[in-house]
Amino acid sequence: MFDFHGLFTGFDIAFSLVNLLYAFIGALVGTAIGVLPGLGPAATIALLLPVSYKIGSPVTSIIMMAGVYYGAMYGGSTTSILLNIPGEAASVVTCMDGYQMAKKGRAGAALGIAAIGSFVAGTIGILGLTFIAPPLAEIAIRFGPPEYFALTVLGLLMATYLGGGSAIKGLIMVVVGLLMGMIGLDPISGAVRFTFGNVNLQGGIDFVTVAMGMFGVGEILYNLEKTEGVQLVTDKVKNLWPTLADFVRSRWAIVRGSVIGFLVGILPGGGAVLSSLLSYATEKKVSKHPEEFGQGAIEGVAGPESANNAAASSSFIPLLTLGIPSNASIAMIFAALLIQGVTPGPFLLKEHPDVFWGVIASMYIGNAMLLVLNLPLVGVWAQLLRVPYAYLAPIIALFTLIGVYSVNNSAFDIWLLIVTGILGYLARKLNFETGPLLLAFVLGPILERALRQSLLISAGSPAIFFARPISGAMMAAAVLFILGNLWASWKKSRESKVQPASVS
Amino acid sequence: MNKRRILVLVLTVLALSVAAVFPALAAEKYPSKPIELIVPYSAGGSTDVLARAIAKVAPKYFDVPLVVVNKAGGGAIPGRDYVVQSKPDGYILLFGYGSGEDLVVPHERPLPFDTFKDLLPVCRISQHSVVLAVPADSQFKTLKDLVTWAKSRPHVTAAVSTKGAAVDIAFQLFAKEAGFKLTSIPMSGGSDAVTALTGHQVDFGGGHPSEVLPHIKADRLRPLAVALAERDPAVDVPTFKEQGYDVVTAGSVKGIAVPKGTPRAIIDYLADKFHQITRDPEFISMMKDLGQPILYMGPDEYAGFLKKGFDQYGNLLKELKIETK
Repeated sequence: MFDFHGLFTGFDIAFSLVNLLYAFIGALVGTAIGVLPGLGPAATIALLLPVSYKIGSPVTSIIMMAGVYYGAMYGGSTTSILLNIPGEAASVVTCMDGYQMAKKGRAGAALGIAAIGSFVAGTIGILGLTFIAPPLAEIAIRFGPPEYFALTVLGLLMATYLGGGSAIKGLIMVVVGLLMGMIGLDPISGAVRFTFGNVNLQGGIDFVTVAMGMFGVGEILYNLEKTEGVQLVTDKVKNLWPTLADFVRSRWAIVRGSVIGFLVGILPGGGAVLSSLLSYATEKKVSKHPEEFGQGAIEGVAGPESANNAAASSSFIPLLTLGIPSNASIAMIFAALLIQGVTPGPFLLKEHPDVFWGVIASMYIGNAMLLVLNLPLVGVWAQLLRVPYAYLAPIIALFTLIGVYSVNNSAFDIWLLIVTGILGYLARKLNFETGPLLLAFVLGPILERALRQSLLISAGSPAIFFARPISGAMMAAAVLFILGNLWASWKKSRESKVQPASVS
Repeated sequence: MNKRRILVLVLTVLALSVAAVFPALAAEKYPSKPIELIVPYSAGGSTDVLARAIAKVAPKYFDVPLVVVNKAGGGAIPGRDYVVQSKPDGYILLFGYGSGEDLVVPHERPLPFDTFKDLLPVCRISQHSVVLAVPADSQFKTLKDLVTWAKSRPHVTAAVSTKGAAVDIAFQLFAKEAGFKLTSIPMSGGSDAVTALTGHQVDFGGGHPSEVLPHIKADRLRPLAVALAERDPAVDVPTFKEQGYDVVTAGSVKGIAVPKGTPRAIIDYLADKFHQITRDPEFISMMKDLGQPILYMGPDEYAGFLKKGFDQYGNLLKELKIETK
């Protein structure tokens, strides 16, 4: 029987004045760092750690840190939409359609749907966390290398839908992304690859750096070509709110995004970035008008922004129920709890029910706070577009530099940002899409590692991918996916052959 | 109003990040400005948590703040290099000195610095031993069960953090001593390796106590042996040696170092302060929760210990023919 008593006690704790205050502070700080490009939740939570000792109570400090984490997912979409610069790694994909919407004067609609989608998805995620966390966590740890391999195969197949332009250019970008993902230590043998003798490259390149460079710096450089005084995006910011038609178009995207985000978020090593990319590809695939993607399709904003919020909520499941931190931000919260004498994991519910339920309850409240905080801000942010680019660009560049530096406190990353920025500029100039590169960069290393680990486990037999239920099902889905597409293109080519024949 | 709030916040976050990078300019008496603990690993890992536990109790013993700065990435080498390159004035300390990157990696590939010549040990704080474990519902109740089974199999798998690191070396040594063939599966880090083990992806596995202890407590993993000369105070499990296998390694050692050229007086000052911290009741109770034993050693003793560990790992790598190429 579900522990309603526990949940109500949790709300009791979360509604105390102190906890409400810290949930609000967390949400506010999270939104702010989400808006600032590059500056991520993990670095911010690390900075807040000494503050959390001062707070004293573990519940209150984790409520604040959780607020920072999911708040960042809310704020991340803002600069993606307005300036084509992802505020957060998980909001990279939002640039593709969000920015196009802003260019058409629909920034308000994009920001609004992102906030509403985030709220709905965040709430769905927390509901899942509340009611089905323990059994889901048990399934999630069964997710081994073969399952990851199958998932990334599916993901890469979906990636073929990410681009809209030239297929050859898209493939070139995929290969560049895969190559960039291979830089660093070989995941299995530990050999050094493609570092050109530079120790800074031994650990590989950080996704944040590549994303900020390719999108952020690349965009700024591209805009420098325009003469001074030209308005950046558009001066007409019409209807600040999504229209009824927008809601109708987005509702299923939000639901699908929530489900994808929730499921990917639970996986150890999964996370918000992957979920938003998968959601975008899914939306494009199921859409009746895929040609609108990349031109400002609202589903391309609603889906991914929902997915990254649902993933942020569900990534608390392995932390709270198993003691497994699934990404850098959650690892930071894990560390904060350990230092305060609370061990997250299977005993959390028994030993510290106040922490377990208090945090979950606070997430409901925090999500509502974020919605209230973000909707009025939509108008404010949209005004940002009126700031002349000559002032805006250097400020954004500065924040991006600081943000990227803050990930590893590494000066080398700044150089890397500049190099990837130039790459991004060239890609933009020559009409190469950055989406496929980033997806390959994220998925490539997971695919390689999972493939090699699986084959080591099975002593070289590829049967391991088909014999296990979860990976077997996903591999079957991948095969069906390929067959379905072959069938569709075969039918298409036959129709085009039949038609001229009937004319003659 | 909202805009202004955001601006204040932005400035605060900015100021904080700048403050962490550029500490106040130097004065005469040591220490007169914040001391940075450079952790070459990402935030949230066992070394980082240890550094943060120290920073938490430090205000009782230091007049200046100890600031934890993560310089992660690059296989934990650039973070070390940063300390090597910094001024030897006692304000930049390397935290995590004695880990695999100091004792194992120099045998495997060239580094831009000499870990023993360019860094001076201050003290040892803890030593993370290697614990072998199996899932709690596994058929193996003892190490003997595992060995008997493994000897009859052509293919035995174990999840390890990375190839050729402390955990991998200990398991390879065990397989050699026990006489079976082991395929170690490098996962991406210690926590992933333990997750793979709890998910029954491999036959056995394990890691450092801080990684396996929560799962042992939760009855998800069963420890079978620890690769130390004597039992680890953090985990209640017999050593390999007690069970008839000569598997003793240094594991991953967590100490503190300063750049070469740092005055001896500063090293002694720091060593003394950290020694006091290791005897602080709050720190002791935190370390117990973290599953990290407190094993303090002063500068000279620690230098000898590291050299011994380094040589031992060199011999093991040769003996086990572990190559990372």
